[in-house]
Amino acid sequence: MDEDIIIKVKDVDICFYVHNEGVSSFKQWIFSFGTKKLFQKKNVLRNISFEVKRGESVGFLGRNGSGKSTILKAIAGVIPPEKGSIEVNGKIAPMLAIGVGLEPELSGYENIKIGCSLMGLQRHRIKELMQNIVDFSELTHDDLRLQVKRYSSGMKARLGFSMAVAEQPEVLIVDEALSVGDAQFKEKCSKRIDEIREKGTTILFVSHSIHEVRRICNRAIWINQGDLMAIGDVKEVTEQYENS
Amino acid sequence: MRQTLNQKLELAITLAITNVKIRYKNSVLGYIWSLLTPLIYLVIFVSIFSERFDVEKYPLYALTGLIFWNYFNTTVNQILYSIVASAEVLKSMNVPRLIFPISALLSALINLILSLVPFFILMFFFEFEPSIKSLQFIYILICFSSFTLGFSLILCALNVYFRDVGMLWTTINPALFYFSPIIWKIDMLPEYSMIRRLTILNPIHHYLNAFRTAFYDNQWMTLEQTGIITIIGLVMLIIGYRIFSNLEKGFYSHY
Repeated sequence: MDEDIIIKVKDVDICFYVHNEGVSSFKQWIFSFGTKKLFQKKNVLRNISFEVKRGESVGFLGRNGSGKSTILKAIAGVIPPEKGSIEVNGKIAPMLAIGVGLEPELSGYENIKIGCSLMGLQRHRIKELMQNIVDFSELTHDDLRLQVKRYSSGMKARLGFSMAVAEQPEVLIVDEALSVGDAQFKEKCSKRIDEIREKGTTILFVSHSIHEVRRICNRAIWINQGDLMAIGDVKEVTEQYENS
Repeated sequence: MRQTLNQKLELAITLAITNVKIRYKNSVLGYIWSLLTPLIYLVIFVSIFSERFDVEKYPLYALTGLIFWNYFNTTVNQILYSIVASAEVLKSMNVPRLIFPISALLSALINLILSLVPFFILMFFFEFEPSIKSLQFIYILICFSSFTLGFSLILCALNVYFRDVGMLWTTINPALFYFSPIIWKIDMLPEYSMIRRLTILNPIHHYLNAFRTAFYDNQWMTLEQTGIITIIGLVMLIIGYRIFSNLEKGFYSHY
């Protein structure tokens, strides 16, 4: 693989297998002695190919349900492609959802440890990063000793975001993560993302705000109902998308 | 994201400790609950059967059965739902899926070890004579855990596709309890009995038998016994692991 290219998506199809009729599909399957399919195949992405160079910021545009999040999940390694290949040449920090995996019964401090271990950090590394995370979240010592179930949604978002950006990743996936918290914290989050980008991290950014995409990204990809419609310079693609 | 074995193990342990913490966080009696369930059963069965059943030291006999049945039962239940319960995490982070069943097993093990101390004290009152032979239980526990993990991995993986599996287990569970010689003894059944012949096929019977050899009969296990529990444990673990790793490829559609 070319050294400059950090993500290479080639001819990727992604399908989900659903059994939408519950029991009746199971009955049909039994009585057909396995000849009928138990699960229905649903194609959500067709023939997607693109490459991302190291240090680029790519915006993903498309209507709800067009498959933007799905392709990012595939890049993050959560969903396997049905066909084609996805190569990623670096460490990914997926921010697909903020505050996932928080244990409501445990304290903020304990949750930082759990969350960071889930992200693949080792204990000594978590200890080193702890102060950074606490500082960035702006939560007080008393807050962090509280059970997370007593947190407001904004506080949870602060905690989740701080963990996700604690370490400089090579690829940062941001999925509408900026739409949480108060205005001041939002500001801080976009600053941190800018900072990460300037240090050379590749950013994959999903947002419905064309303004934000234009500000952050230099390239854009437009996906419509599972098909790749356009890829290229952020200005051209966002204009195409707006005019569609 | 490739993780080293060391990292995976560390994560599994972190999650196991989290499990244990959460379980005791919001109940007043906390840890006592894991003792209470087998004890309540013990009181019920001893008060009903100890006069009728011609079993020497019946309370000790029933207690050894109940402790390890309880371990089996809680472990299966926790592993069964471990993937479904972590769906949100698995949807957004690339964490090795096997970590969740394994950490569920570890937390059940921690729980068992914590409860063994008070149980040993109780066993003294029931004429338990500890000796070097009692230590065999460590090996039996390893085999039993490996059997339990393998068995639960199958249920766990199927449960992701069809949540009916969890329900089905809830109903089958009591049947398995009475079918296994936990509160009764296999000698009570006549030689020609169908149930007696079927019990030989019940793996749980063999494990309970082994635990009782160590705690109740105060004997060394025979070579045959050791062989059986080792082989069942290994074979079940391999089958369970194979089924799980085949089925996990399709999990993403069903979280």
